[in-house]
Formats: sequence, structure tokens, C-alpha cells
Amino acid sequence: MSDAAVTVSGLTKVFPVPFHREPVIAVRNLDLRIEPGEVYGLLGPNGSGKSTTLKIILGLVSPTRGRTEIFGRDSSLVESREAVGFLPENPYFYKYLTGEETLRFFGKLCGLSGSRLRERADQLLELVGLTNVRSRRLSTYSKGMLQRIGLAQALIHEPKLVVLDEPTAGVDPAGSCDIRNLIVDLKRRGITVLLSSHLLAQAQEICDHVGILANGVLVREGRLEELIAIENRTELVLENASDALVDRINALATSSNAKLIARRRSTTTLERLFLDATNNPKEKS
Amino acid sequence: MSNKTAGINRHRSFSLARVFAITTNTLTELTRLKVFYILLIFALLLIGSSVFMARLTFQQEFQILKDVSLGAMSIFTSLLAIIATARLIPQDIEDRTVYTILAKPVPRFEYIVGKLTGVLLLLSISMLVMSAMFLAVLYLREQTVLHETLRQMSAAPREQIDDALRAIRSSALNIDILPGIVIIYLKACLLAALTLFVSTFATTNIFTIVVMVVIYFIGHLQATAREYWLQEHSTGWMTRAFLALVALIFPDLQTFNLVDDIVVGAAIPLGLVAKTVVLGVFYTTIYTFLAAFVFYGKEL
Ligand SMILES: Nc1ncnc2c1ncn2[C@@H]1O[C@H](COP(=O)(O)OP(=O)(O)OP(=O)(O)O)[C@@H](O)[C@H]1O
Ligand SMILES: [Mg+2]
Repeated sequence: MSDAAVTVSGLTKVFPVPFHREPVIAVRNLDLRIEPGEVYGLLGPNGSGKSTTLKIILGLVSPTRGRTEIFGRDSSLVESREAVGFLPENPYFYKYLTGEETLRFFGKLCGLSGSRLRERADQLLELVGLTNVRSRRLSTYSKGMLQRIGLAQALIHEPKLVVLDEPTAGVDPAGSCDIRNLIVDLKRRGITVLLSSHLLAQAQEICDHVGILANGVLVREGRLEELIAIENRTELVLENASDALVDRINALATSSNAKLIARRRSTTTLERLFLDATNNPKEKS
Repeated sequence: MSNKTAGINRHRSFSLARVFAITTNTLTELTRLKVFYILLIFALLLIGSSVFMARLTFQQEFQILKDVSLGAMSIFTSLLAIIATARLIPQDIEDRTVYTILAKPVPRFEYIVGKLTGVLLLLSISMLVMSAMFLAVLYLREQTVLHETLRQMSAAPREQIDDALRAIRSSALNIDILPGIVIIYLKACLLAALTLFVSTFATTNIFTIVVMVVIYFIGHLQATAREYWLQEHSTGWMTRAFLALVALIFPDLQTFNLVDDIVVGAAIPLGLVAKTVVLGVFYTTIYTFLAAFVFYGKEL
């Protein structure tokens, strides 16, 4: 028994391909350990085995070799799914249900009922910003709205672990910023988050730990800061600094055997620009 | 697991609340199928139109009415059972809705049972609608015939009139219709469960439907074939085992065909009804377990 949120040991998944001699090896001998309370990013190019790994952790696909556990309970046991909420990639739900009915349906599957269920559904619709379309059928939802309702259903039973397969795929910048804030909020509340992504800038902002998969093999693994830190460099960001001040700092650096490598005007990100420009009053109502 | 998560109780390996959630959701899905309404309207029209069929005597009229109506009900529910069930699970797998459901603490067995009971509920709704139509038509025709007879026999002695009315009543609405309807329903349940089983390993919906149509016909001929086979071969244990296997794959649907007896107004012995009901429930249960078994091993 371990107290990790997720453990994956010696995991291999081979998909036989019909009429082909060569089977696809989606995951090769993967070992992972995700501690409670951290945000873990599983990164990798298309087809590198991210979704397959997540599905095996959720018990949706059976491993060819090795085992996976959620809070010490084997993924093949139905009970292991009590503590976890899952958002599949490109989620698709019953399109004849409304947003609210969808949440109620999944809530019931998690054993919620009555006023507790109604409360949770209201809270989550609010949280993912779908309150005003709650009684519209999902057939009229856009891709980003489906992603949000998917996120809401993953959180309906207040799981201790949330597994998100490309949570921001198809969501606009404001939405993906919301989802990012949501993940940060989950982490603040002590909830473990395991997410897959190939949007590196986003992963860099929120992940504590990352693992990089390539062709089903874990090629890099570790704490994000440690992985991307350049040991002998330090950055300073100054506001209202005069040229004279910068020159003085430069001189000071040279005198103590350091070197100023770059000196540039700070820029905003395109994302910030986009968010400021599109954040009109209509959104806020 | 010390801290309580949202007041959720310990996980139960079978929960009626979860099954019920899947059942109602499946029923909603099915009532949105156009084919359901088309078939239902068609069956109702057939039952209603039997009023206008040629008639010589009232006995014949009621016979035709029952024959056509029960026949329509039998075919309609069988067809609906097969068509509605065939795409249920493949559709969920294709749309990946099954991922979100099974990623919740829902055992696969509950998912299968929930889907099936959704179909069974749909079948019972359509059965109720059709039975209501059938009994209403039968009742109206009975009343008409009773009035006509009374008018024609107004001069006849009292006992003669009473005899005539009793004869009409007994050949129209009688209690033997009820087991007939129940058994038609059970046949549909059995077919739905078998279709669900086939759909868990079929690669396309067409395959499932074709297989089910073949099973439907063979199932009706099975009893005859078995008798023929038993004449030709010895009744060793191998033969019996083989026949049992055949009976499992091709259920003896002829057993569920009590319509002919009902039409002629023959009383159906209670023992036979009970035996058929038990057989229907048995088959349905077996197929449900087989479907769940295959679904457990299935790569989604
Ligand atoms: N059901 C399946 N049958 C056969 N091969 C499969 C199946 N599912 C996945 N694969 C193969 O396994 C490999 C990994 O797929 P996976 O979906 O895990 O990739 P991914 O990292 O999630 O990619 P993406 O970023 O595109 O979502 C791919 O080569 C894929 O073709
Ligand atoms: Mg993927």
C-alpha cells in the first residue's frame, strides 16, 4: 500500500492491429508516481500514449503488463473510481440532455441525490460559467461549452483526484484561462490533478511536476522548476528603471564576475492582449 | 480514506439508484427514436383497421380482431426489441459516452442492466398503449354486436337472449387475453436481452440485426427441427448437450406463441402460462449475464 494519489508500475499496453503483423505499442514499461496535492502534467506529441495511460489509470482499458493504482486501490476495482473525476479528450455526452440534466445524471452515478445533488449541480454550472445555458440541450452547445460541462461532471462528486485529458482543447483563451485558474484553485484545496496536454506554455504555468512521453516511453520526468531551470542564470524584472540604473547594475555585475546577458523591454503576451481586448462588459454580466 | 468526500457512503457493489439513473436515461434516448413512433403508429393502425375486416358471424369477427391485433403486437414488440437494443451499446462506445459513465464508480454489470431495463420499460410502454387500443376496439365491437343482437332478438324469450349475449361476451373480451399479452411481452424481453448480448461482440449494428432476424426465424422453427433430429438420432448425453446448446443460441420462440389458442377462445391452462413465464424470465436473465460477461472483457 502506498499513499500516492496515482502509481503506475511497469505499465505496457500493446494494441493488436487487425490484419497487421506489427501490433502498436502505445505505452512501454511506464513508471509514475503522483503525490497527493500536486498538479502533474503528462506531456508528449500526438500518439505518444498520453490518453492510453490515462484510460488505463481509470480502468477503461486493461493493461497488457504492469499495474496502476489510485490511492492504493487497483484501477481494475470499481471502488478505485470513487475518488477520481475524469474528463476524457473531446468529451461527448448525451446530446438530448440539457447541461443541468447531464450533471444530475453523472451525480446520480456517483451516489448523489436530492438537495445535495441539486446544490452541487448549481455550484458547478456557476463554476464553469454555464449557468445561463443550463436548460439548453447539449446538441446546441459549442465545443468549448462541452469541454466545460465535461469538467463540471468530473468534479460533481468532489473527487480527491481529477484526471483531465487535454482540458483546454477547443476552449477559447478566456476559457482556458478560467480552466487554468480552476486547476490552481483545485490544487489550493488539496486536490490532486493529473492532466495531459501538448500546450507547453499552459503546462508550464500550472504544473508542479511533468513527465514527457515519446512513443510510449517516459523520456523526462521531474519537478518542473528543476527540469527547466538554467542553473547559473538569474532574471531580474524592473519597473521604471532608468538607463543609468541599468548601467550601474551592469557595472556592479561585471565587478563581481557576473555578466549581463540580455537586456530587453518587457512585452505582454499575446494572450494577455487578447484577454484584455475581448474582456468586454457583455462577458461580465 | 479518512476524510469524507461529499458525504458519499461506502461504495456498494450494486446500487439500484445508479441502475435507475441509467435506465431512465436510456428510456429518454429511446423515446427520441423516430422508428419507435413509426412502428407504434403502424401497429395501432393495424389493430384499429381490423374493425373493418369482412365478417360473417360475430365469432369470426372477434377471432380476426384478436388474431390481427395480437399478431401485430407480437411482431411490433419483437421488431422494436431488436432495433432499439442493437445500437444502444455500440452507439455509446462510438460516441465515447461510455467512457464518462464507466469512469464513475459504476460496475459494468450495472451499465448493462440499466441499458436493458431501459429497453424493457420502452417495450412495456408500447405494450400498454397497444393493449389499450386493442381492448378498446374489442370492447366497442362487443357493445355494438350486443346492441344489434338485442334489437334483432327483441321478440325472443328471455333465456334465449341471455344465452346469445353470454356467447358473445365469452368470445370477445375474456381473461385469457391477459396471459397472451404477458407472454408476447416476455418474448420481446428475451429478444432484447439476446440482442444486447449479440451487440456486445458484434462489429456493426447491421450484423446484430441480421443475426437476430436469423435467430428469430430459426427460433420459431426450432421445435420442429428438434423433433426431427430426435427421431434420427439416439438420445445420448452428447445429443442432449448439443440440443441444449442449440436451445440456448436459438430460444424456442414457438413456445411463446399462444396467440393461436387465444384466438379460437380456448382457455390456456395456468400451468402452461407459468411454465412459459419462467422460461422467458430464465432466458432473459441468462442473456443479460452473458452480455455482462462479454462486456467485462471488452476493450473500449
Ligand atoms: N483502440 C486502439 N487500437 C489500436 N491502437 C490504438 C488504440 N488506441 C490508441 N492506439 C494507438 O496507441 C498510440 C497512443 O495513442 P494515444 O491516444 O494514447 O495518444 P495520445 O498521446 O493521447 O495522442 P493525442 O495527443 O493525439 O491525443 C497511438 O499510436 C494510437 O494509434
Ligand atoms: Mg490523447
